[in-house]
Amino acid sequence: MARLNKSFDKALWVFHVNSGSCNGCDIEIVAALTPRYDVERFGIKLVGSPRHADVMLITGPVTKKLSEKVKRVYDQMADPKAVIVVGTCGCTGGTFYESYTLDGPVDNVIPVDVYVPGCAARPEAIIQGVVKAWEKLEKLRGDSV
Amino acid sequence: MSASEQHIGLDIAPAPGKKAPYRFQVGPIHPALKEPMMFDFTMDGETVVNVDLVGGHNHRGIEWMGMRRNPVQTLYLAERICGICSATHSFAFSRAMEDALDIPVPARAEYIRVIVAELERIHSHLLWAGVAAHEIGFDTLLHWTWKLREGVMDALEYISGNRVNYGMFQIGGVRRDITPEMVPKIHDYLDYYEGILGKIIHVFLNDKTVQMRTQNIGIATKEDVVKLAAVGPTARASGWKTDVRYNQPYSAYANLDIEPITPEAVRGEVVGDIYDRIIVRALEIKQSIEIIRGCVSQMEPGEILWEPKMAKLLMELKKRGGEGVGRHEAPRGEAIHYVKKVAGDENVTYWKVRASTYNNLLAWVPMLIGDEIADIPLIVASADPCFSCTDRVAITNNAGKTILTGEELHRLSVEKTRRLMQ
Amino acid sequence: MGETGEVEGGFGLRHYIERFTPSAEEFLRKKELTPQELAGWFAEKFGERVRDIVAKEKPEGTKGALRRTIWMNADREILRDMIRSLIDEIHYPHLSVISGTDEGEKVELQYHIQVYYGERATETTISVRFALPKDDLWIDSICDLIPGALISEREKQEMLGVDVRNIYDSRRYFLPDDFPQGVYPWRKDETGIKPEMVRKLSEVGL
Repeated sequence: MARLNKSFDKALWVFHVNSGSCNGCDIEIVAALTPRYDVERFGIKLVGSPRHADVMLITGPVTKKLSEKVKRVYDQMADPKAVIVVGTCGCTGGTFYESYTLDGPVDNVIPVDVYVPGCAARPEAIIQGVVKAWEKLEKLRGDSV
Repeated sequence: MSASEQHIGLDIAPAPGKKAPYRFQVGPIHPALKEPMMFDFTMDGETVVNVDLVGGHNHRGIEWMGMRRNPVQTLYLAERICGICSATHSFAFSRAMEDALDIPVPARAEYIRVIVAELERIHSHLLWAGVAAHEIGFDTLLHWTWKLREGVMDALEYISGNRVNYGMFQIGGVRRDITPEMVPKIHDYLDYYEGILGKIIHVFLNDKTVQMRTQNIGIATKEDVVKLAAVGPTARASGWKTDVRYNQPYSAYANLDIEPITPEAVRGEVVGDIYDRIIVRALEIKQSIEIIRGCVSQMEPGEILWEPKMAKLLMELKKRGGEGVGRHEAPRGEAIHYVKKVAGDENVTYWKVRASTYNNLLAWVPMLIGDEIADIPLIVASADPCFSCTDRVAITNNAGKTILTGEELHRLSVEKTRRLMQ
Repeated sequence: MGETGEVEGGFGLRHYIERFTPSAEEFLRKKELTPQELAGWFAEKFGERVRDIVAKEKPEGTKGALRRTIWMNADREILRDMIRSLIDEIHYPHLSVISGTDEGEKVELQYHIQVYYGERATETTISVRFALPKDDLWIDSICDLIPGALISEREKQEMLGVDVRNIYDSRRYFLPDDFPQGVYPWRKDETGIKPEMVRKLSEVGL
């Protein structure tokens, strides 16, 4: 993985992908960004393009129609990057444990760094997940320097 | 009429030397349940002349899964159809099962169901209002409404223990009671909203920016919504008084006088534009508060479950058979579940779910046609499909190459607001 | 496939929604009937082609509201006639959804139609079942009478393999494009989901 640059010390920009989730985790991600939890004060910001993002927040059990698109979004993100799965269905399938139209869980489609279980994952858990990814990226920097 | 005449691409002949009409796609990543969308637009300059809908990206095969599980397991699956309407689908599914298998529901449970469903409506409408504000480029308003929304999330967490997927419903009742000690706190939450609601409504209805971006944009007429079988606030904003709570009262709604809200109340007339949809949702928050207060005051002590023992409930469900329909007025409109259960069968034999957006899909077509690219995010959001769709869209040209990201589409929308402000 | 809007390179729904615009008169309530009277109207109108009509009025709540429902079986040939007569003589129907079941030899479609909406506690849910033999699996499209039926009809084509005659748009809506032809998720026979198509997400990586 490429070396982390200095800007990483301050802020993580996240890109959110919905791979067929129920919206429960998605609204909790937005709740984490808005005033009650306000992660923007840590410089964590939701961006509109994968090319700007350090971290991918992915929700949902990955439907067949979307699995190619998820891979494409992952490839578009610049290295170094981290992937966080938010929600039980993305981690293990959860309540959608068997289906004819799912390609999940997420780690079957793209490499995953942090798993945040919960149905739906609470905003606190999502923030903790982002911090874990941060630690991991920091460590990577230590290794590569 | 021949097939060639029907294709809209041919409805507008390209001017000599020009390439119009051109096509672009918005989507497909979109969060709604069965309605994740790709929009395929035909454009003439800035104006939408035609649109096609390509869906199914979120198709998880939930109905198929449900037919392999027992009714109680299916109930939890139903809850996870949509994280925003989790009370909706468990409500409609339990009602369908109760209708099919002839199971009575205790009166107290009916009130608790309605309280949860109405709290959900408040949270869903506030969420929607924030998203609409974001699409206009009014992010202060987004953060403000989402801050207010945390109040109702706290109330839901206080009652059910969860912020999302409340797990309150059970076939033949509810799983948790609202004890008398909980009532004052529920009133506190409602007082909080009652105190601040006037302010929210004032901002959304009187702010110049909001008015400029929403009035006379994205119009669907009453004829459009009736023939396209639209439901919920999308239909009511066009002047069609359709509301399951009123048309076919059910559960504890039958004990309360509920009037469907149409925009005349504020505006004096029905236009059917985005502004009307804001009016309907804003007033529905107020209505929900009244409904919850009504429920809390009418609720009498009593049982909350038809059969509290799970093993016995499952046995009884297995023994019985029948078919039934359950309907519920979700925040987005009528949701309907159909179930068929063969007696002796452990699983739900057949299950059909129809969420509200399913019926509202086609209503987007009249709304979008004739409007500008910059209005697309707002119009799409105005039917409340789900909030974050337009955050993550990509517009591609025919070759499939990305030329506009969702961010840029959002930027276009914000720029239009700025232009109008000058 | 009859009348469709599909041509090379594009597809639009504009013509679809504009080709049928009912007059204001068609939206009006024509005759006020109770469920029992409505059941009688159906029996009189369609004779032996409708069977097993059950009209119910179930009390809801304490204020005397009634939930009105009618269930019946009917021959598929009268579907369009039935919708047309409802529009002309009763009330413009609101199609809630079409559901479908696999009954072994037959596929059964249930049309859930609402009439008398728009007033307090008068709405009546009419659920009409149509049995279609599997070796001759078709039903007429009603999307020119109720344009809102399009998505529901498309869903029945892909989920149950019903040939909806004269449907405006016969493309798949829910299933992925590479989903095998001839497999219908809601069927319980050999054309249903095969065990090898099912992915067990919970067992991945164990």
